Amino acid sequence: MQLSKYVKFREEKFGGVLFETRSEKVFTLNAVATAVVREIKPGNSESDIVAKLQACYEDRDGAIEREARAFIADLRNKGLVQD
Amino acid sequence: MTEYVSARPEPAPETAPASTPAESADLGAPLYVAWQVTNECNLACLHCIEESGPGKAFKDELDEEQVFGILGQFMDLEIPYLSFSGGEPMVHPLFFKMVEFVCSRGGQLKIETNGHFLTPENCARMKSLGVKAVQVSLDGATRSTFNRMRIRGEFNTATDGVRNLRTADVPIEINYSPTSFNVHEIGTAIDLAYELGAYSFYTGRTMYTGNAVKAWHKLELTDEQYAAFFATLHQKTEEYRGRMRVHFHEMGLLEELRYRLHHPAALLIVLPNGLVKLINALPFICGDLRRQSLTEIWANFQRAWQDPRVAQFIDDLSADPGKTSSLHQWVYV
Repeated sequence: MQLSKYVKFREEKFGGVLFETRSEKVFTLNAVATAVVREIKPGNSESDIVAKLQACYEDRDGAIEREARAFIADLRNKGLVQD
Repeated sequence: MTEYVSARPEPAPETAPASTPAESADLGAPLYVAWQVTNECNLACLHCIEESGPGKAFKDELDEEQVFGILGQFMDLEIPYLSFSGGEPMVHPLFFKMVEFVCSRGGQLKIETNGHFLTPENCARMKSLGVKAVQVSLDGATRSTFNRMRIRGEFNTATDGVRNLRTADVPIEINYSPTSFNVHEIGTAIDLAYELGAYSFYTGRTMYTGNAVKAWHKLELTDEQYAAFFATLHQKTEEYRGRMRVHFHEMGLLEELRYRLHHPAALLIVLPNGLVKLINALPFICGDLRRQSLTEIWANFQRAWQDPRVAQFIDDLSADPGKTSSLHQWVYV
């Protein structure tokens, strides 16, 4: 998975931002979303990203996995990533 | 994920329900830098807000060392999106070197041009360097209106330039400024933009500033003309939905400035001499890139919007819309 051609990512104190420069829309990211995009940048797959997040954070009830997968689905819907 | 305040000076953003979008003050750096790289231009357009034209380069425009020092700062701070405008940016002697610098360091770059230097070779070069988009000003769907507006300009040269962009596979945007004598062509201008291969079409109200002050009697639109203009834009937005985006600002300048007073865009406007403006439609200067770092200026940008003179100027505009004629009399805040 990769960020789409016209999408730029920058980390911020509050998390991060994604900037889709064709539509000139900017999206704010919380900490989990920022961690997901950080793993998308080098081209990791969805399952690798979820596994990495689970290794980094305690995810006893599966909340992080659900949040990460929902966010990735949102990214796909908005055309911000490509597989 | 929340749709955020726009990086551009646009109206209020849409936000996801039950969420609070971050503001530009939360960011470590701007998201968008609009750089007027020179005030020199081969044309002398009736409505030019920058009063650009032949021989109109500022005496103190940035030299090569300053240009690349500043661009280096932009890239180091990971500013994701830049535009080069003017004047006419393609007459700048360092134009392609600047383009290469930004694109090679991962910046997404838009060029805003009058389209008169878009030869097949230049378009191919921009494609190979990775320019994100080229925005061409086409203020008319016919040669007669375009050439009337763009003194020294040639409609066929500009449209040939757009065709060269398409051949080179460079993404195309079209910009259109309405006036009393071209407003009736807005529908056909949008159709033309689509035929030429544009993916976006931008327009809005023409501002009473720069060259337009002197030519206002030729340019000014009536309320009825604006009403018909925006009605056509709404219709064309639907007609081209999914094929080409039609962007326009229906709100007036005053409403936008009042919104920006509380929600500054994550955008810096850089003038050809390195001065930084709060927003194009105000005369306020919040920094000087020849003497200050971008980080310092970004911090001052946020403070400067709170300066009482800014709010006062906007209040005064409501009583005297003609105050926009003084936007080039800079005020340091």
